[in-house]
Parts: sequence; structure tokens; C-alpha cells
Amino acid sequence: MTMDLKKYQSLFKNYTELRVQKTESKHLCFVKGENTVSEKTISSGVSARSYKNGFWGFASHSELDESSLKTVIRQANDNAAFLSSKTVQKSKSFPATVNHHSVNTFCTTKPRKSFNEIMAFVQEIDQYIFRKYSKLLTRGLTLSCLDMEKTLLTSDETLAYSMVPRTLLCVFLDIEKDQEPIELYEVFGGLGQFEDYFSDPKLLYPKIDQLYEDLMLKKEGVYAKAGIKECILDSEVSGILAHEAIGHTTEADFVLGGSIAKDYLDQQVASPLISLIDFAHTFQGQTCPIPVYIDDEGTKAQDTIIIDQGVLQGFMHNKETALKFNVPPTGHARAFKFSDEPLIRMRNTAILPGDNSIKEMIASIEDGYYFKKPGGGQADSTSEFMFAIEQGFEIKNGKLGRALKNTTISGLAFEVLKSVSMVSDDFQWSVSGMCGKKQLIPVSDGGPALKCRVNVGGRA
Amino acid sequence: MTPHEIRDNVFAQLKAKKIPQAEFGLFFTTKHELNLNNGQITLLRTTQNSRFSLSVINQKQQNGVANINKIDPEYLTQSVSSAIDIAKASPKDAAHAIAPYQNPQTFHKGLEAPDLEKMYTRFHTFQTQVKKQYPKIVLEDTILSFTQSTRFYQNTNGVDFKEYLGSYLFNTCFTAKDGKHTSSFNGTAFNTLDLDQELLDYATISSLFSQITEQTHLKSVPTHFVGDLIITPDCLIDFIEYFISIYLSESALISGTSILKDSLQKLVASPLFSLHSQPLSSDMATNYFMTGDGFAAQNSTIIDQGVLRGFLLGLYGARKIGQARAVNDGDNYVVDPGQHSYKELIKNTRQGILLCRFSGGDPSSSGDFSGVAKNSYYIKNGKIQYPVNETMIAGNILEMFKNILAVSQERINFGDAILPWIAFSGISVSGK
Repeated sequence: MTMDLKKYQSLFKNYTELRVQKTESKHLCFVKGENTVSEKTISSGVSARSYKNGFWGFASHSELDESSLKTVIRQANDNAAFLSSKTVQKSKSFPATVNHHSVNTFCTTKPRKSFNEIMAFVQEIDQYIFRKYSKLLTRGLTLSCLDMEKTLLTSDETLAYSMVPRTLLCVFLDIEKDQEPIELYEVFGGLGQFEDYFSDPKLLYPKIDQLYEDLMLKKEGVYAKAGIKECILDSEVSGILAHEAIGHTTEADFVLGGSIAKDYLDQQVASPLISLIDFAHTFQGQTCPIPVYIDDEGTKAQDTIIIDQGVLQGFMHNKETALKFNVPPTGHARAFKFSDEPLIRMRNTAILPGDNSIKEMIASIEDGYYFKKPGGGQADSTSEFMFAIEQGFEIKNGKLGRALKNTTISGLAFEVLKSVSMVSDDFQWSVSGMCGKKQLIPVSDGGPALKCRVNVGGRA
Repeated sequence: MTPHEIRDNVFAQLKAKKIPQAEFGLFFTTKHELNLNNGQITLLRTTQNSRFSLSVINQKQQNGVANINKIDPEYLTQSVSSAIDIAKASPKDAAHAIAPYQNPQTFHKGLEAPDLEKMYTRFHTFQTQVKKQYPKIVLEDTILSFTQSTRFYQNTNGVDFKEYLGSYLFNTCFTAKDGKHTSSFNGTAFNTLDLDQELLDYATISSLFSQITEQTHLKSVPTHFVGDLIITPDCLIDFIEYFISIYLSESALISGTSILKDSLQKLVASPLFSLHSQPLSSDMATNYFMTGDGFAAQNSTIIDQGVLRGFLLGLYGARKIGQARAVNDGDNYVVDPGQHSYKELIKNTRQGILLCRFSGGDPSSSGDFSGVAKNSYYIKNGKIQYPVNETMIAGNILEMFKNILAVSQERINFGDAILPWIAFSGISVSGK
């Protein structure tokens, strides 16, 4: 999907972005051996956004012909003009920026597999589970292949093309105990297309065996005890903490909307062991799971240091909030569908690794918990968070104990981060995040394991 | 191309390829959306989209689905090939089927186009009123939109449905700030066919605004206890959806994880609880008139005085597990009112929480849940004491609905649901 957008530049009356997008997805679902979903979706279209006197007009259309492109540019201008005619507002123009020409594509270099081959791959894994683990109540496999392709032209003459695919295979297993189902899941895949991750089903078998073993431990699991406990949050949990509880409070639109982080700039908000960065595209020499080089306003994406050794350093910006805060934009304006306007969104949010081994962290706790896998979470403008925990263990006298049933942890994120006393030396990305903020968008988060004090929501 | 031209084109191609059964949905949506940012109306969006969704079942009972958002002969041909290829790759399944012939019908509800000037005026007045009446409130994502949608459904058994809908949706997310003290955010939404009232006067908006201005100074509950939970209409919809998803949905029944799979016509909740899905209700602003799998929708009772009357199964799910098909796709939930006033519910609570928003992960497949009580209040000896923070609640969804103490007489009409306050017992509450 390549289109010559430059010929429409003469129609831009104000600051304008013109974006053409195509999203192609394959979705396969097996439940208890039954193929409940097998579908392919292609969605493409064009949008334009125009800025006039502090007001935005946006328009999109699913057709990609010349007439539709001209229509959305005109409609975006008209919409901005409609609002501008209603109120007089003092506003600055966006400063002129360096134009960028950028092409970034992560298409696989391997031969593409047919739908038939992909289906056979998933079925083979399903049959492996069925044959080997007959005691399961149910099993499920969901494959999601998403190719996101964009071409952007701005009135600053930035022209950017990107093709960012993400492939995820989620396996969940359920077993029954006392007539109640107990579930555990694992996600495989990440940045790239199916062929980049899934060459041979057998390569996944050891991981599925591990998932089953973990489920057997959870089956015999106990309820966590409610209250404040010394805990280890493993990388998936520390990642979601970084994204949900800290990240959102430091998005500049949330800061303007009253987020508590507004009052904390340049203050110690976490243990000096904590540094938290939203990476644009590269960390430790490796491409991050959601690489962003040019954002959807045409800004070159920069790594954003949010917390440096415990001190809150900055916020994530688009062009408009950067203007209000008198700082450069950081490249966080992102849209998911062609019909979405760019919003301030995180990309790859992570706490940096420290110096401790997981072993010594566990050994340092007399009575606490090791939380390994989150099941979703939420946070708000006060940094108060709640995360479901799908997999966790007791820690007793410095050793891992019994597995836990599902529980929840909560607290004020800045307070929890102040209590961090150890940070592990390993690091892991979680690749399957979808963040909801008016629109859904793929994100990633990650980190090391953290030792901290947190409120556990077990049974009273 | 008209829907009938599309039908003729697509079904001719399928016939040539010996596909015996197929159905498609054709969707056109136009949306006008005013967005408020930092207390100002700063964005107007106009979006147009379309979708063609084709499902085929070949002679071997294999099913394939292709979706595309373009409507022209080239893309239709591409979709036909794609759906047939996917079907060939899929396992055989006797449960795949399409709806039988029904008389052609056309459904209409709402407006064809928005009154943009009225939208702006109502939104602007709202913004001004909030500044004046609730100076501590910071409005975050706040959107007034109008969506006009057209949906066509056709299948090879001759089903021919058309549906035209148009309504306004207002949603608002907000916090309160008092000096350096910030409340949690809260939010609500409602649907309406007109904008005849000021936005502040719809549903629960003004009462939530009053509440949040007192939620900048919070306390945790003093202890851990097992007590009562009064869930507000804004929050109740989450728990109803948990109940349906865990126990009554197609996925829970096909996978076998629903512990209510053998409980049809049995008591599964308190006799005080009756739940209906009423997609045709004239009391609500938003409706739908046909199911996704090609049946004319009907209103239904899901739970009648605690007795389970039906699962939410589509045609595929019903054939898969050998149960009756639901007569609608769920949503438009209505809970029958109770005998007590909201004030009496509070008065009758010895110790508990008034739950106004629940921040929790999805409950496990057993129904166990835990999460944080947000924008909520501690109740002691029949009186609301103070707004709480860092207060967790835990319980089991099925047990909760069995342990209903009372349902309020008052209900809120959100335009897509009509819900009361409900008091439940036996909930674990833990403070900091």
C-alpha cells in the first residue's frame, strides 16, 4: 500500500496531517479442539487532521480514491473552521520543524505461509495438548496476526512510511477442582509476522509443558492473605506497573487533566533504584516490541526519561502539549486505526534493570509473595492501581512456597516505588499489551523484578 | 452498489463455486463527534466507514469469514475468494449454519443526521455549567457524538433485513482537584435520541459530579471485615456483564467452564433478581432489531426471580451444545426494580461499601473476583461515613447474586440499560 500523498499537499490550508493506513489481520480461535473463529480482516482508509487557532478538525473515510482524499482534507479544514468560528481563543502555532523522510518496515524475510499452513500449525499444538493432558477441563488457542501499515504526510513535509506487524499466540489451559475451573495462560510471539516466530510446533511444547506444570501447582493453590506484604513483582507485573500506574499519570494530556504527577516534577517519587523510560524503538541494542521512529504528527520519536534514579524528570508529549509546556514534542502522538486521531500514547515503557539476582531477592523475604503473571490492571490519576494476579507463590523463610489462587494487588504506585529495596538484573518485555484510552492501541511494557511493599487483596 | 446488487453479485460468485450456504453483513457508519480537551471544545471529528463481512459454509461444513471495509466488485471478489480459502483450511463442524428464511423487514430508529448546532450549544452550556457549579471538577475525555448506522443482512436462505439507527452518545470522564489533593477519575455515559435536556440533567451526571467534589480527601476503611456491598447503577452493569461472560456466554458454555451449564430453569440467583435483555424496548434510546446471525431480535428474560431462563447462545453455539438459541444478542439489560428505596438500602446496612466504580481484573472462570473500590463510600450503622481509598473488595460473582439483600425501587435509564441499586451481602472488604 504505497500512495503518492505529496500531490495533495497544496490542499493543506492550515497545519495538517494526512494519513493513509491499512490494517490486515488474521484471527484463529480453538476452544476445546473446536475451531470457533477463522477469519481474515482488511481495513484501510484515509484521515486528515487540521489545526486552526487552537482548534482541531478531523475527518476520515474508508475509500482511498482521489475524491475521498480531497474530501477528508476539506472536511478536516471545515471542522476546524466550525469550532474556530464559535470561540475566539489565543493560541500559538506549532513551531516549524525539521522534516523527516522515514521508511521502517518489519515484514518477514521468510517465505510466507498460507492460511492452511497456519491453521495446521495451531491445530497441531491443540492436538498435542489434547493427547498429552487428558485431565484438562478445557484448552484454548487464539492466534492473532496483525499487520499495521501507515503512510503519513504533514504540512511540515515530513513523509513517513511504516509497516509494523505483531503476531501473538495465546494458549490457555483450564483444570477443574471442586467443580470450579482454574485457568492459566501464556502468550508467545511479538514484533514480526507469523513466520518469524512459529516455524515448528514442537519448539513450543516445552513451554506448554511448563504451563501445564504451573497450572497443576495453581490447582493446589491457596488464597493470599489480605494486607500489606513484602513482595516480589516479576517483570510482567513491574511492566504493567510502569505502564498503567506511572506511565499514564505522566502523559501530558493526563497531567493537564489533573494527574497527581503534575505536582511531582523534579521531586523524589521513587526509590533511587528506580529509573523508568518510555523507549521509542531501541533498548540494549535490540528493537523494542512496538518500534516508533516517526509518530503520527511527524515528530521524530525520542526515548523519554520519566523517572531517573527516583526523580520524576518529564512527561510524554504530542505537539500541542509540548507547546503548552514549552518543551520539544517527544513523539508520542499515535493513532491505531485510520479513523483515529493521534493521542499521546506510550510505546515501550520499562523500569531499567538493577543489580540483584532473583534468588537473592527471594532469599531476603521472610513472609511475602512472588507475583509472576498479571491478569490485567487499571490505574487512575492518583497513581492508585489495581492489578489482577493470575500466577503467584508464597515466599516463606526465603524460599518459594505454595502457589496462589488468583488475587489482586493494589496501592499508590509512587508509594510502592518508594518502597523498592531490590531490583533484579534481568529484563523482559511483555509483548501483548493493548492499551485503552479512547482508542485501543498496541503497546509494550517490561522490566526487571522489583522487591517492594504492596497491598494484597486476598480473603479477609 | 446497492445491497441487493451486492447480494446478487456475491451469491452468484458463491453459486459458481458450489458454496451452498453463506451470509453477509454490510455496515455503513457516519459519526460526528465533539471532543472536549482541558475544559474546551477543541476537536470536531467526522468519520465514515463501511464493512462487508462474509461468512461461507462449504459442502463439507467448513466455515470461513472474511471482512473488508471496501464495497466494490473487485474487493467483493477478493472477499469471496478469501472466505472460501479460509473455509477450506478450517475443520469440519456440523454446528455451522445460517438463519432460516424469515419475511424481509426494514427497521428504523432515531435520526438520520445530527443537529450539529444543537450539539455544540448543549456541549458548550455543559462546559460552562460545570465550571460554574463544580469548580473543583477537571473534565478529562468528554465526548458528545452522533452515530448514524445502516446495517444490511442477507443470506442464501433469503433473509433480507435492513436496519437504520441514529442516536447521540455522551460520555464523560472527570476528576476533582482541591489544591494538591486529586480524586480518582470517574466516568459515566448515556444515549439519547434527542438533546432536549441539558447534558447535566441526564442519567447520573450531576450526582456523580457532586460526589467527586467530596472525593479529594479520602480514608481507608478501618479494618478487614465481611459486610454488605451496595452497587450503584453505573457500576452494576460491570457485574452483570461478568455474570453473563463467566456463566451464560457462548464461549463459557462451549469450553465447559460455566458452572451453570446444567442449571437451566434452576434457581441460580436470589429471587429478588430478574434480568432481561430488551433490544426492542421503546424505553431505551438505542436498540437493535436483528441478531448478528440473521434473526429478527426479540426481548428476553434471562433470569426470572432468580431462575435461569436462558443462555446467551447464537445459532452456532446453540447447535454446538444442543441448547436453545437466545432470541437476541444480549445487551439492553433491564433489571426489575425492588421494594425498597435507595435510602432504605443504605439505612439497612450495618457495615459495608457503597460501590460506585470497581477497578478490578476480569473475575476468574470460577467467578472469584477482587479489586479496588473506587469513588466509593464506607457505610456504618446505616449511614454513609466517608469516601474511601485503597480499599479492596473480594467475593464470588455467583455467590454475590445469590446473596442479594435488596433491590432499589429507583432505577436509572442510561439509554442502553435500565438499572437499579442492589445490596449484596458476604463481601470481603479490606482496608490498608
